[in-house]
Amino acid sequence: MYQYNSFDSQFVKQRAAQYRDQLERHLGGTLGEDEFRPLRLQNGWYVQRHAPMLRVAVPYGELNSRQLHKLAYIAREFDRGYGHFTTRQNLQFNWIPLTRSADVMDALASVHMHGIQTSGNCIRNITSDCFAGIAPDEVVDPRPYCEVLRQWSTLHPEFAFLPRKFKIAVTGATEDRAAIGWHDIGLQLLRNETGEVGFKVLVGGGMGRTPVIGTVIREFLPWQQILVFIEAIVRVYNRHGRRDNMYKARIKILVKAEGPRFIKDVEEEFINILERDVDGTAHLIPQAELDRVAAYFKLPEGVVATTDSQPVADDAPAAYKRWLERNVHGHKLTGYRAVTLSLKRAGQAPGDATDSQMDGAAELADRFSHGELRVSHDQNLVLPWVRERDLFALWEAAKAASFATPNIGLLTDMINCPGGDFCALANARSIPVAAAITERFDDIDELYDIGDIDLHMSGCINSCGHHHSGHIGILGVDKDGMEWYQVSLGGSDGSRLSGEAVPGKVIGPSFAADEVPDVIEAVIDTYRSQRAANEHFIDTVKRVGIDPFKAAANAARRSTAKAA
Amino acid sequence: MTKIAPMQFINPQQDKWHTIAGEDGPMVTLTPKPYSLLTLLQWHSVRASWPADMPVGVALSNDDEVADLESDLPRLSLVSLAFPKWTDGRAYSQAHLLRSRYRFGGELRATGEALVDMLPLMKRTGFDAVVLRRDQDIEAAHRALAFFAGHYQGDVKEHRPLFARPAGEEYPDATDFNQAGSAI
Repeated sequence: MYQYNSFDSQFVKQRAAQYRDQLERHLGGTLGEDEFRPLRLQNGWYVQRHAPMLRVAVPYGELNSRQLHKLAYIAREFDRGYGHFTTRQNLQFNWIPLTRSADVMDALASVHMHGIQTSGNCIRNITSDCFAGIAPDEVVDPRPYCEVLRQWSTLHPEFAFLPRKFKIAVTGATEDRAAIGWHDIGLQLLRNETGEVGFKVLVGGGMGRTPVIGTVIREFLPWQQILVFIEAIVRVYNRHGRRDNMYKARIKILVKAEGPRFIKDVEEEFINILERDVDGTAHLIPQAELDRVAAYFKLPEGVVATTDSQPVADDAPAAYKRWLERNVHGHKLTGYRAVTLSLKRAGQAPGDATDSQMDGAAELADRFSHGELRVSHDQNLVLPWVRERDLFALWEAAKAASFATPNIGLLTDMINCPGGDFCALANARSIPVAAAITERFDDIDELYDIGDIDLHMSGCINSCGHHHSGHIGILGVDKDGMEWYQVSLGGSDGSRLSGEAVPGKVIGPSFAADEVPDVIEAVIDTYRSQRAANEHFIDTVKRVGIDPFKAAANAARRSTAKAA
Repeated sequence: MTKIAPMQFINPQQDKWHTIAGEDGPMVTLTPKPYSLLTLLQWHSVRASWPADMPVGVALSNDDEVADLESDLPRLSLVSLAFPKWTDGRAYSQAHLLRSRYRFGGELRATGEALVDMLPLMKRTGFDAVVLRRDQDIEAAHRALAFFAGHYQGDVKEHRPLFARPAGEEYPDATDFNQAGSAI
């Protein structure tokens, strides 16, 4: 993975010093709350229901064990002993007092971490495929490009106060595991007929109140030009994006409103930068720079393809075989596997890890994965460099450390935002609903029978829990001070299983909190009675439509039936 | 590198530039006076007759097209750009275009809700003067300008991104940074 050089490490220290100055002015009364707010946001500090929340950037999801140990230390020393991994591959703390925030930034800087642009109306932390660099279906490793993009977007002086937040996702595999269609800019690395590397560029995707799938603006952009092309997109957006209405300020609204004219404006701006600006070609990426960055993403030392794998013994424990089936993934290197450490288990919120669990995961990474981990879009941790012959030992260790629930891709491996228990934006709680569903579906045989399914839940329309892209989506809404839940079906993140990215369809008026587990069960039962042989949930929904599900869900109404 | 003057902090009481406003909006007739700071509308009404050697400036609002001013830029000593709200970042793009695309060499001034924490962005997008909001602290402003010794991406002043700068030139702002070292 990428290693900071002296420039990088000085930079995060300078950022921490700048933040300390701002915090001190704020605490000293010379920098008011309204003016401090956007500054702290661009360092990852929200003020939430109980305390400030800190969102720490994990650039394109890559993390080393030393960093994870430091996050565990911060959880222990500054927070209440846990953190939450997010769909954007970041980590959030919930209980750190603002007065100690500058100390936390120093602690993060010491392991080359920060909260730069993890919130605010700027270019956010860039996300990618959690199997980048190891996936068997990878065409081009996206990580060097992600790193070049990370550097370019970090404290970009022109784009720090855009109309609204701006998210970029990059994938380099044939399967989209980064949901690029759902991002302000989605990038897919590919090769053209002559083998040259370039990007398919999508623009104007997003969730929120108006779910939109990105529009293809370039089928093939030579990789050297990506920074200039993104500069053109973001400049057009900065100048013409709406600022009068927060709900219409994302680039998706501009792209929709302007249509082909938006594309024309971007292409013109792109040419203008290259042909008219002083040194306008300075941001074309030279081969030498790509090579320099790519050198950090070579195989870890000692990792070579091997054929010394051991076949699974016939008498191996059934639980181990299940874990192999669900939590262990293909690898581009023979003799290696990627392993997901499940952060979805009864008794803990999806994506949460305690300080000792973080330490435990870091130790597993040291022992089995060359000290490297990934944060997945599905809010789990991944060990990318596991020898096949170590799998059994890893399974036993992961089991002891609570990471071995064999549920990856199954119903209880749900995406979930922190919701109303923590988030000041939320209309409804999501954690208790997730807990109720996890409890309802605690039978592993049943989960296996239901098979692959994406359940996504958000506590409000901001869609941090990606409800729009869930095969089953649950959205918390507030009516008259009460929590209600809207259920949608048939959404897709764009993965192979889910099909082309599309928002789900709402199946009727909202449900009461206590009805949700019954509704989910009714929807699942409908699937089981309607499915064809070997048909996944999403395919049954596509084939039979939402009406049978809707009828079953309505039959599960109790309190909302009376109200109607 | 484009030479951009060090940031000038404008005291409105001692400013040689003056705007021209009538009782009810912009004046229809306008007598040329040195150091007039005109709206785009006012400038368009007098540009044909404005004396060649008389200093004049134009104040743009942040949704004006800077391209419309391109051919007049060599005649202007000052362009001022507005931040109606400090979180509205449109003027940064205008500044970038004025300097980088249209080669504007006069004074580029920030007005409106101009706060000290915006100064690093202003400096890097080409502003060389600012009328800070009245409550802003000048010492904090100087500190704000000196937290970073260098940046990753190129900007209006240092066009080259880090990857295009040779060894030894990673820190183009090292002087400011080192001078402020004791304050950090």
